[in-house]
Amino acid sequence: MKAMIIDDEPPARRELRRLLADFPWVEIIGEAGNVEQAAGMVESLTPDLLFLDIQMPGGSGFDLLTRLEHVPAVIFTTAHDEHAIRAFEVDALDYLLKPIDPARLAEALTRVKGAHAERTPSPDDVLEQIFVRDGDRCWFVPLREVRLLSSEGNYIRLSWGEAQPMLGRALAALERRLDPNRFFRANRRQIINLDFIENVELGVNGRLHAQLRNGPEIEISRRQARLFKIKMSI
Amino acid sequence: MNPSLPAQHTKSLQLYWILQAAGWGFYTLSRIIGAATILRLPWGKSALELAIFGGVGLAISHWLRGFVWRHQWTALSIPKLAARIVVAGFIVGIPLGILTQISDVSALQDPGPELQEYGPALSTGMTVTIQTLLQIANWAVLYMIWLAIYFVAVGLREHRTVRLKQSELARALHLAELRLLKSQLNPHFLFNALNTVRSLIADDPSRAQSAVTRLANTLRYSLSSRQDELVTFAQELDIVTDYLELESMRFEDRLRIERDVPADAASVSIPVMLLQTLVENAIKHGIAELPSGGLLRISAVLENEMLNVEIENPRPPAPSLVSGEGVGLRNARDRLRLLFGTRATLDLDLSKPAVATVRLRIPQQR
Repeated sequence: MKAMIIDDEPPARRELRRLLADFPWVEIIGEAGNVEQAAGMVESLTPDLLFLDIQMPGGSGFDLLTRLEHVPAVIFTTAHDEHAIRAFEVDALDYLLKPIDPARLAEALTRVKGAHAERTPSPDDVLEQIFVRDGDRCWFVPLREVRLLSSEGNYIRLSWGEAQPMLGRALAALERRLDPNRFFRANRRQIINLDFIENVELGVNGRLHAQLRNGPEIEISRRQARLFKIKMSI
Repeated sequence: MNPSLPAQHTKSLQLYWILQAAGWGFYTLSRIIGAATILRLPWGKSALELAIFGGVGLAISHWLRGFVWRHQWTALSIPKLAARIVVAGFIVGIPLGILTQISDVSALQDPGPELQEYGPALSTGMTVTIQTLLQIANWAVLYMIWLAIYFVAVGLREHRTVRLKQSELARALHLAELRLLKSQLNPHFLFNALNTVRSLIADDPSRAQSAVTRLANTLRYSLSSRQDELVTFAQELDIVTDYLELESMRFEDRLRIERDVPADAASVSIPVMLLQTLVENAIKHGIAELPSGGLLRISAVLENEMLNVEIENPRPPAPSLVSGEGVGLRNARDRLRLLFGTRATLDLDLSKPAVATVRLRIPQQR
């Protein structure tokens, strides 16, 4: 497994390297001291795992994740950041407190290894999950669980279970990376998850109305309705 | 609540009896002398009778004191209290006046030979009723005066206790406020330092040892800072040096330090943990936010009995990271105000594009 260490403190990086020497299956392919440097390295080296500090110069560890196209598995490392720890509590992201307890590190790595083996290989360039930060809360959102993506200005609102986190990207840019067998552009502003469609009704002017499970009714524009019918072989 | 209260109570009770004895004693004595010299009444008899009346008067006034306490007259408004004093004066005065009239203490009933020329006018000019009324008025007014003096004394004492309590309360509040504003060591720093030490144990054991000593110094200072309010600038600077050494082990070449503190400035008293807070801020919002770090400069100068301290550090250009003033700086400013009033100042200067300068001015204590 290819891993990268991202921390602004050289002694902290050295210490983690030393701790990881006990896990020969984890190969450290790079180190970075700030978000700028890390973003480029992650994209070019495509590691499977990141050891990521939260407080860093020029942006936090969260900022790095929101910038990445492909987010690898992440283990956060932090000294004492109540704010960040609160963020973790709402999600199952793994984190290690510095100084790192070797036993706790082994535990986290076992979990990552399990998740890595389980993951079914997907065609390249298709997003499986997405890192979202909304105020104090952070999530790794599995895209197959998202019912609806709505464009709101420069943001995308994800309808995911009870939550409605916002993503700072353009809908068109994200659309290219979505699994075309699962997601469908319903109209100028919305992309729907086909797995969530409960029923479809005919509307006026050749439009369609798709009722989403646990969600609103979405209008499919005339132009898209034709594509939809072909796709669903209606 | 307050252990000095019983002692205070005994003291005020003592004062009460002294004043009672002095007041009634003086009143009785002046009447006896008056009776003997002006009215020329026989010494022995009038002295005895007046002394009895004095004693009875004192006893009744003491009973009155208990009565007004039981009925909590001290809590009354002044008009209500005044009305009650007048009524009480007459209620006590009427029986005493009648009693006095009946007894032959009244000089007017039996004027001495020297008063004979006034005698007819005095004794025949006044009916018994008028004489009795005069006696009643005499006692009534006496008790009204007694009650008035009593309530004025109680009021004064109450006022003083309240004032004392208020100033004690204000002082306690002041201390609590100072304690709250005093910053403690940032836990983030503590855990990062421990992580550095862990790393140094393998990399450079002798530096690890020195790091542990410096960390111990910093912790000890921070813990004991709860007791002291002021320390010398030199003492504070020592701990800031330890702190900065630890931080430079962490940041390595990203943190450079420059210090310029002359000996005369080092002896000035400053609030404990104040410089530490300012330096911590400089690292947190300056050096730590910059990928390539920078130079932290601490300089001080003593001028016209004012200590001028300047802390300068590079800062990220994005103003969002240093928007407004943090809690640390605000608390530091509040502490200075509580300790020095308006004589000490603390300013954050962000006018230069990539530099933050904190200027601290503290008067030299004599």
